[in-house]
Amino acid sequence: MTSSRNTPLSRKNLWLGALLVAAALLLTTGAALSRAGASPAEQTNGFHPTFALLDSDGVNVLSSGQPVSTMNTCGQCHDAEFISRHSFHSAAGLDDFSSPGAVANGRIWDTSNGQFGNWDPITYRYLSPAGDERIDLTTAGWVMLYGARHVGGGPAETGRAGQALASLRPDASDPEAAILDAHTGQTKAWDWESSGTVEMNCFLCHLSQPDNAARIAALEAGRFAWANTATLAATGWVIPAGNVYAWNPDAFVENGELKPEFVAIQDPAAANCGLCHGQVNADLSQPVVLGDSFAADWRTLTTGQVISGQRISNSGINLQSKAEITRSWDIHAERGLECVDCHYSLNNPVLAQRDPASQPEHLLFDPRRLDLSAYLYQPLHEFARGQSAQSAVAPELWNTMRRCDSCHDAAASHTWLPYAERHTAALACETCHSPQIYAPALQSRDWTVLDANHQPLSEFRGTDGSPADPAALVSGYRPVILPRQMVDGGAALAPYNLVTAWYWVYGDPARPVRLIDLEDAWFDSRAYSVEVLALFDADGDGQLSDLELRLDTDEKVALIAARLAALGLEDPRIQAEVQAYSINHNVTNGEWAIRDCSACHSADSILTAGFDLAAYAPGNTLPEFVAAGDSGGVMLGNESALFYQPAPQQAGLYILGRDSVTWVDWFGILAFLGTLAGVSLHGGLRWWSIARRKPAAPAVEKVYMYGVYERFWHWMQTITILLLIVTGLIIHKPDMFRAFSFHGVVVVHNVLAFLLVANAALSLFYHLASGEIRQYIPRPYGFFDQMFVQARFYLRGIFRGEPHPFEKSPQNKLNPLQKVVYFGILNVLLPLQVLTGALMWGAQRWPDLAARLGGLPFLAPAHTLVAWLFAAFIVAHVYLTTTGHEPLASMRAMMLGWDEVETHTG
Amino acid sequence: MKEFKHIWLAGLLLILALIIVPVALFWPKDAGAQDDPWADMPAHPAHTDHSAIVKGPFATGQEVTRECLSCHPAAGEQMLNSVHFTWEGDPVLLPGRDAPVTIGKKNSLNNYCIGIQSNWRGCTSCHAGYGFSDNDFDFANAENIDCLACHDNSGAYVKGDYGLPVEGVDLLASAQSVGLPTRQNCGACHFNGGGGNAVKHGDLDETLYFPTAAIDVHMGEFDFQCIDCHRTTNHQIAGRSLSVSVDDANQVYCTDCHARAPHTDERINTHLDSVACETCHVPQGAVRDATKMDWDWSTAGQDRPEDPHIYLKIKGSFVYEANFTPTYLWWNGTGDRYILGDPIDPDGVTEINLPLGDINDPNARIWPFKVHTANQPYDPVFNYLVQPQTVGEYWVNFDWYAAFEKGMETVGLPWSGQVGFTRTEMYWPLAHMVQPKENALTCTSCHSQNGRIDWIALGYAGDPMEWGARITP
Repeated sequence: MTSSRNTPLSRKNLWLGALLVAAALLLTTGAALSRAGASPAEQTNGFHPTFALLDSDGVNVLSSGQPVSTMNTCGQCHDAEFISRHSFHSAAGLDDFSSPGAVANGRIWDTSNGQFGNWDPITYRYLSPAGDERIDLTTAGWVMLYGARHVGGGPAETGRAGQALASLRPDASDPEAAILDAHTGQTKAWDWESSGTVEMNCFLCHLSQPDNAARIAALEAGRFAWANTATLAATGWVIPAGNVYAWNPDAFVENGELKPEFVAIQDPAAANCGLCHGQVNADLSQPVVLGDSFAADWRTLTTGQVISGQRISNSGINLQSKAEITRSWDIHAERGLECVDCHYSLNNPVLAQRDPASQPEHLLFDPRRLDLSAYLYQPLHEFARGQSAQSAVAPELWNTMRRCDSCHDAAASHTWLPYAERHTAALACETCHSPQIYAPALQSRDWTVLDANHQPLSEFRGTDGSPADPAALVSGYRPVILPRQMVDGGAALAPYNLVTAWYWVYGDPARPVRLIDLEDAWFDSRAYSVEVLALFDADGDGQLSDLELRLDTDEKVALIAARLAALGLEDPRIQAEVQAYSINHNVTNGEWAIRDCSACHSADSILTAGFDLAAYAPGNTLPEFVAAGDSGGVMLGNESALFYQPAPQQAGLYILGRDSVTWVDWFGILAFLGTLAGVSLHGGLRWWSIARRKPAAPAVEKVYMYGVYERFWHWMQTITILLLIVTGLIIHKPDMFRAFSFHGVVVVHNVLAFLLVANAALSLFYHLASGEIRQYIPRPYGFFDQMFVQARFYLRGIFRGEPHPFEKSPQNKLNPLQKVVYFGILNVLLPLQVLTGALMWGAQRWPDLAARLGGLPFLAPAHTLVAWLFAAFIVAHVYLTTTGHEPLASMRAMMLGWDEVETHTG
Repeated sequence: MKEFKHIWLAGLLLILALIIVPVALFWPKDAGAQDDPWADMPAHPAHTDHSAIVKGPFATGQEVTRECLSCHPAAGEQMLNSVHFTWEGDPVLLPGRDAPVTIGKKNSLNNYCIGIQSNWRGCTSCHAGYGFSDNDFDFANAENIDCLACHDNSGAYVKGDYGLPVEGVDLLASAQSVGLPTRQNCGACHFNGGGGNAVKHGDLDETLYFPTAAIDVHMGEFDFQCIDCHRTTNHQIAGRSLSVSVDDANQVYCTDCHARAPHTDERINTHLDSVACETCHVPQGAVRDATKMDWDWSTAGQDRPEDPHIYLKIKGSFVYEANFTPTYLWWNGTGDRYILGDPIDPDGVTEINLPLGDINDPNARIWPFKVHTANQPYDPVFNYLVQPQTVGEYWVNFDWYAAFEKGMETVGLPWSGQVGFTRTEMYWPLAHMVQPKENALTCTSCHSQNGRIDWIALGYAGDPMEWGARITP
């Protein structure tokens, strides 16, 4: 029985085993073959012709055996010099390299706007300027470290003064011709002649299978001349030969040109861009995973953005509620767009757009464009770009790319959105369309301490562990919303990740403490110094855990500062900064975008939600924003966290349903409750006084007091005002009325307001045309006396059963107090309320007009204040209707027209 | 006073109307596409409990049918005219032919078990009738109808040789259980086409008895029965399979329930003139259970290790595949058909049921297909496909010559005395195992370097995302 059941099972296992072995064999042989260079990489389009590979002397590499020169090889047909001179990817800030302190909006120790000279606290190492006493990163060191994300050319080829690096004589004291020896801590001379330099690497972006790992390995080993050739490791053009590469004759024909099937040149695909910029996954069949490359995937590390058309639910990330997240990582990747579709070459005749300012107004499209052949000869390698605080390079090209609204007509797709223009003016599209990031991102990096592996402490948001740990549960995070200064002026709220960094600086002017010095401060010969352990090792286990590595007391800060000072560093101190990394990708469509009004228009508005910065502030140093991003919010800390509280109010925004002016509400509530208390007291006294004495029933006669139209407009006004106050209150404090749809209530409020204004206008016409308006106009003569008489009646006479001092008649319906109160309401409160309301409603139609009158931050509280006053008036008004000869008489008269008027015959 | 009160009431109503009407006009409307498929779902009335009505006893299936007809006399006539009973459709004129032909399971060849003629004993176990054993079967006798095949709700009714109930079936219990056809009734034959689970269609197999939403959204998530889509009036069941029906009359469409352009995404809706719903919503064939993709009859008869998914002595060798990526072709809903006796090119591939339509056909849309290839018997002298007798002949004696001789004698075509094998293809449009939108194809599934559609083969100059849509007359 058992054996007969086992047989098919074991056979199945056998098959499985055989399959696995076969697959493994296939994989290994496949890999070996590609390593051996026998199989050509897939040619994605057959357009590019075959060509010969030339070395730096212009000799075919097949005969010289030298590394390839991209300038000479690609320069056979393209203007390679032009390309490399017009590329901020290549220059990386070399063009505007200056001395420390001269970079506008830069740190005091920054030397350029680009990667070459613009210090970044994530990588930390500082490119030493000439003459700096303590040399950290030399030019050669920079190429080794930053070359992984640099395309070559620029500072990898040319010195800071424009001289060729290859022409520099080795010199241990010159940061351009030396290297820091990590073992000795001393600089030693660097021989550019033997290392070679790195030409702009055309292959990195234009090959379908560039071998980035081989390229980086060559750079890190200082074999600069071979880095570009190493990029070809997967093409079959070369065969690895020890530290260098040998050219594979099988990939070439006799005249030295590549065989057509080996030409794998293409437009840059998203995967090419992703080699330096972040995680890209174009293959839908391969699940997105984070893994070890996370730290090198720059934009993914700093923001959690992943470029892939894959549904997030199909990813391999251990993501919370993954099955429900069926949107794609990025809608544009999903729809088949490549990076270069938006970040195109600026003279690409297909995509280039002219600056509208330079065009005649009547011209929609100018067909006089660059010829395709001219473009292919000299394609600008300046790419259309957005604006981001970190990548300050090439500021002249900021916002050269299309924005969302260059391709999308928001008006056509946002018909459902109330105040669409107002929303699109105040919010960047990404705010609603990149509502959530589904991967972890760097939150803070603490370089004030070093762990046992000489690494800083890093915290990540959106995960309960490390991004490299596939078992950690990823929750993703909601970006913080901060004002982004737009190039065309104005600010719009846009999503960001905030990365905070703490680090030591020294000297005056300040510069970051070298990593090598920091290591000396913490370690004595590879182990934590005894002094450090004694102070930091709380549990005495001889190790420093992440929780023990905290500069949370003055004593600890002083110890490290003293150890740094002992190395000869002047005035070592902790600095901290926050960088706002903007989120522009990982866009989703309307189905997944924020559509719920209350996401912003409520007390827990995402626009003002606090954003975690770090678990604590090392050295008790609060970070400051570098460059753009600060909303004027505040850094707040408690024992468990330091976080940032955005304050969009500082950018002139007033978020209905979220913002309010406290004193207005308190004043309004007091006015309302005060009135209520006043009429209650008055009513109580009246009731008491009536109970004490037998009221003389005054003689009354029936008078037709209010015509049909008068009654109609009065009750119309009554109902609209009451409903306006209720709906207004809901809009003002939506959190207290969660049962109502914010959108719906806003619509009702607007409709009611229109009805109120129309009704008021018609009744004004009626009163003017009929002359009834006279009833509302106080007569100056004796008016104050009459008011006094009326007031005295309310305060005294009414309790004594005295008759009303002024006879009510169809010709004279209002008593003097009424006249003055209505005069005020109709001439001050109502117009004020209509005006502020109309301007708030019109904030999107006539934004300038509203802005000139103070904008929403003034209009909205004013509207609220008047609304409170109206509410208080209604209480008094309704109460006073009960002061007729019997409590409900006036109410009945206003309903039915016939009033009973006291006849003052005596 | 009374009329005043009326004025007061009228005034209040007027004011309320003045407020409510504009509020209703301006009330935010959901901009979503208007697709309300439930509105078109057929309602099934509760079936009458027959346990007290049907008395029996029954010795044969025909006796059951007689009892059924005594109360449902019209059903007999309806069934006699239904393809489930006649196994042939209405005559159609095929391209390149002079006269209409009548096609059905009754007389056609396929590239699985090839054909029923001379093999009735096995094949007609799925006939909705009793005793279909040769070409002389009486298709006019209503008592030959098998009511229980479709209406048995006991789950214990099983058909055997010639469609007769197998030994031991409790006909009375079965007859008393009758109700609307269930997945079990339809699936017993349609999930097992080709002689076993999942063999034939590529989108119909036993996983559909109790599917999850990830297998079929309609049956899994919403608990559909087959007859919810295959609507039936007077025993005429809607739905066609290209394998035996070459016209598109009485077909089932997604739009029977769904709006013509149901997507909120306008970009997707612009696809609908050229892309069938199934193309995106049936992204893979044979989602769980492997289906037969290739059958080589020429290796039959050898004494090799057997595995029903790899090799059987009686049938030859097979290739099975699960979760396969479909083949995409233009299809206008109609097909061409190989008819017994049609000449073939033995060196080429004979198309048994080529779907008709191309890029210039405005009625054609891109459809997902399972393509079943085979190496099947033919006459190398007369150059036409052969109907061999397998049941009781080749499957017992492993002698192709005898099988050819007997089979061809039955169909009345001459045989040269030679035996050969030739490549053929059959097309199976995939319309079941519909996936929820979360599993549907996305843009780059087709529109990318590694996309699954060969645009040039479909007649485009290149990817229509870049080249633009087809222009049809």
